[in-house]
Amino acid sequence: MTPVHGASSSSGGAEVPSLQKTVERLLEMAAGRHVTGAEVYGERSLSRRIKVYQGGVEQLTEARRTGVGLRVLSNGSMGYAYSSDTGADALEQLVDRAVAHASVTQPDEHSVLPQPQLGAVTDLVLFSENLGRVSQAQKIDMAVRCERAALDYDPRVKLVEDTIYVDEDAEVVVASTTGIRGAYRVNHSYLFLYVLAEQDGGVETGVAYDVGRDPALLDPVACGREAAERACRLLGARPCPSFKGTVVLEPFTAASVIGVLGSALTADAVQKGRSLFASQEGQAVASELLDLADDGIHPEGLASAPFDGEGVPCRRTPIISGGTLQGFLYDTYTAHRAGRASTGNGGRGSYQSAPSVRPTNMVLGGRTAPVADIIAGIERGVLVTDVVGVHSGANPVSGEFSVGISGVLIDSGRLGRPLREVTLAGDIPGMLRGVVALGDDARWVPSGSVLTPSVVIEGMSVAGS
Amino acid sequence: MNPGGLGTDLLQVALRRALLRGGDFAEIFVEDRDTLGMRLDDGRIDQVTGGRELGFGVRLCDGERTYYAHSDEVGEAALFAAADAVATAAAARPHTEVTDLGPVRSSPGLHPVQIPPETVGVERKAALLHVGNEESRALSDLVVQCTVTYGETRQRILIVNSLGEAVRDDRTRLRYVVSVVARRDGIIQTGFEALGQSAGFEIVDERAAANVARTAAQKAVTMLDAKPTPAGAMPVVLANGFGGVLFHEACGHGLEADAVSKGASIYAGKLGTKVAAPIVTAYDDGGLPNGWGSAAYDDEGVPTQRTLVIDKGRLTGYLYDRLRARHDGVRPTGNGRRQSFRHIPIPRMTTTYIAGGSSTPVEVIEATDHGFYAASLAGGQVEPASGAFVFGVAEGYLIEHGRLTTPLRGATLIGSGIDVLQRIDMIADDLDVKSGICGKDGQGVPVGSGQATLRVSEMTVGGTA
Repeated sequence: MTPVHGASSSSGGAEVPSLQKTVERLLEMAAGRHVTGAEVYGERSLSRRIKVYQGGVEQLTEARRTGVGLRVLSNGSMGYAYSSDTGADALEQLVDRAVAHASVTQPDEHSVLPQPQLGAVTDLVLFSENLGRVSQAQKIDMAVRCERAALDYDPRVKLVEDTIYVDEDAEVVVASTTGIRGAYRVNHSYLFLYVLAEQDGGVETGVAYDVGRDPALLDPVACGREAAERACRLLGARPCPSFKGTVVLEPFTAASVIGVLGSALTADAVQKGRSLFASQEGQAVASELLDLADDGIHPEGLASAPFDGEGVPCRRTPIISGGTLQGFLYDTYTAHRAGRASTGNGGRGSYQSAPSVRPTNMVLGGRTAPVADIIAGIERGVLVTDVVGVHSGANPVSGEFSVGISGVLIDSGRLGRPLREVTLAGDIPGMLRGVVALGDDARWVPSGSVLTPSVVIEGMSVAGS
Repeated sequence: MNPGGLGTDLLQVALRRALLRGGDFAEIFVEDRDTLGMRLDDGRIDQVTGGRELGFGVRLCDGERTYYAHSDEVGEAALFAAADAVATAAAARPHTEVTDLGPVRSSPGLHPVQIPPETVGVERKAALLHVGNEESRALSDLVVQCTVTYGETRQRILIVNSLGEAVRDDRTRLRYVVSVVARRDGIIQTGFEALGQSAGFEIVDERAAANVARTAAQKAVTMLDAKPTPAGAMPVVLANGFGGVLFHEACGHGLEADAVSKGASIYAGKLGTKVAAPIVTAYDDGGLPNGWGSAAYDDEGVPTQRTLVIDKGRLTGYLYDRLRARHDGVRPTGNGRRQSFRHIPIPRMTTTYIAGGSSTPVEVIEATDHGFYAASLAGGQVEPASGAFVFGVAEGYLIEHGRLTTPLRGATLIGSGIDVLQRIDMIADDLDVKSGICGKDGQGVPVGSGQATLRVSEMTVGGTA
């Protein structure tokens, strides 16, 4: 698999042993006990978050995270324990704990450790050496220029509440007694801002992101202007009468709906009876136009990696193709239960958590058309620029949802006045079937790591005044 | 010995390095935390996890600006790297003197632990989970699902700052929770009960565990007979214990100094004025012996205290951390709390409660000819600035002619915190406090909330009948 870079740039000093050595050592210690199998996940990262306000740094956080997590399989039971302390005594204690945890866990025939697999992608470039070449002062300057660009865009931009620069440099190592050995290094950086614009006492908000592995390629000015533009175009918004029509979900808003879909498409949700897609494999669940995949090896994806938190190679897994449900996302446990192979979706929040099924990058695609042409063809509808309450207003089990939206009215093929205090209600299955077009404006939304174009849906109920 | 083995001399040098270029206050928070979490679901212990986290955070304040660096690699190199990281962020100004660190203060024995949980084998804890499962199922054949969780943490912290203060605290917390689902003829009801304290294993013997389980099961089973709730405005009696969640959410957050200083609280500018009925006296008590939300010191090293927030109906105080206390020119109240070394402290409640009165609970119900009795509350939504709330009622009853009669389901309580406080007209003498986890700004901390049985002369009850 991908070679590991020296850990020196992300460690506190020369006395710290490499992550790989620590992982190997812990695995040896665990394998020396009377256990059926053991697996170690090690993580070391350095991240920075810089928040600027009115031209200066308001908050700066630098976070170093190092730790190891150990799974042991003993008499059919899996036990988990973790430690941030990687000294010899702490590792000894960690093994004791994992073994004790397994001893009181009910045996489960599906608790197994994965075997090594061929076919891992080896040429993924997930790390940019440029991250280390951009100084803290340059990062602060980027955030300051981003804020400035938003304020300069329009006199109605009154305030940029948050302008945030974030980057992370992480190293991951997985090793197990079944022969899995893997290591990789990954980084990302992004800019985010939240803008308030005001006109006649009415306040509207706009956000924008710029994401990339190489911070030097971020465009703070374009990002700042975009957020300002998104806030300004909503100024003067008011409710509209209720109607049934076509909605255009911009990538930002489409991504939040796709985020809800992601959790319903995991085998875990299916096996626990918490998915609206259970028992629909091979059936038409969406418009023929629609393709949805979980792509764990997309070169641009923030969640891309050569392998998952169990060392299983990541891959591109089609979920919906031409509207037909192809399958679900599996980790090793749920795959064993279903009699299938893992799709490389055994994810981890951090070394503190055992693997569980998690989507990687969700990629929505299909045949696209220019957004301007699409809008020109809509008699009555809404360009939806903001959604609130997706997580509380959408039920991932039943698929029913009711969310608040902001946007711009579409009337006889033209963009009209801005809207607010409007709700969009329906159910996810109906929405997926109602997709009539996809825009040619696909982009990454870092929250949830989703790549999507604008999604156009017919027959939606828009409830206003 | 200090957590992480960091010597006081070394910490003092790091404080000086943090303040080298500017800033007016520096602090180091060192934490060593052991955690164990166990879950029994569907009759089987399926999750046992835990581990150790050792880390520190260096905070530098510069007026209203905050710089923070944290790491879970602990040692001289990591400590200096963090101190230097915050120092380079600070604006160059005449530097602040670091007062030599005094002796490390600690107050052992305020929240005595008789049986340290880490000295008890994991098998005994597993047995307690089975007790909960068996007792709740033994109560009734209608119990169809039972989930029991056991959690323990031991958190050892050391806080030093540039004022020369050094404080050590050792906190043990333990919580046992039972959730039950009962079903009859397609009707499903749930029951929940929790026991949590800053104490040792002595609080969860078999009898205590069985009591928690039976209480949870009884709630679920009783509610199977519930009738739809008639909607309308009526007197509402809130039972002791869980009723305190309403005060916590709808009033308590408005008393936290960050909400007050942002103007995001209805209690801003109301010190000394009447905000509640004259029989209402309320406290936040971080020192409540063995309280789940208690500690000897807060997470900034300020001794916890009992703060009178409402005295016979008058607003008498807010809840402060160091930063906001300095800003307002008052003494901090021991409410600067954080989830872990990875988080910046902010003003938080500890144990918040409405003090008991002189009636008995029976008298409160007997004095009510017609009304609603809320025995326990489910989740709710609160608009923080106004305190307007909607709360679900997990267990509710009709009061008719001074007696509890029909159990009612689907009830919600609708109102605003300040209205409710002003309409409290009877308070009983049965103060009880319940344990919970409160989330704010992405940080979860243990809190207690409580009250005696009390009556609100009129509140809107939302129902379905």
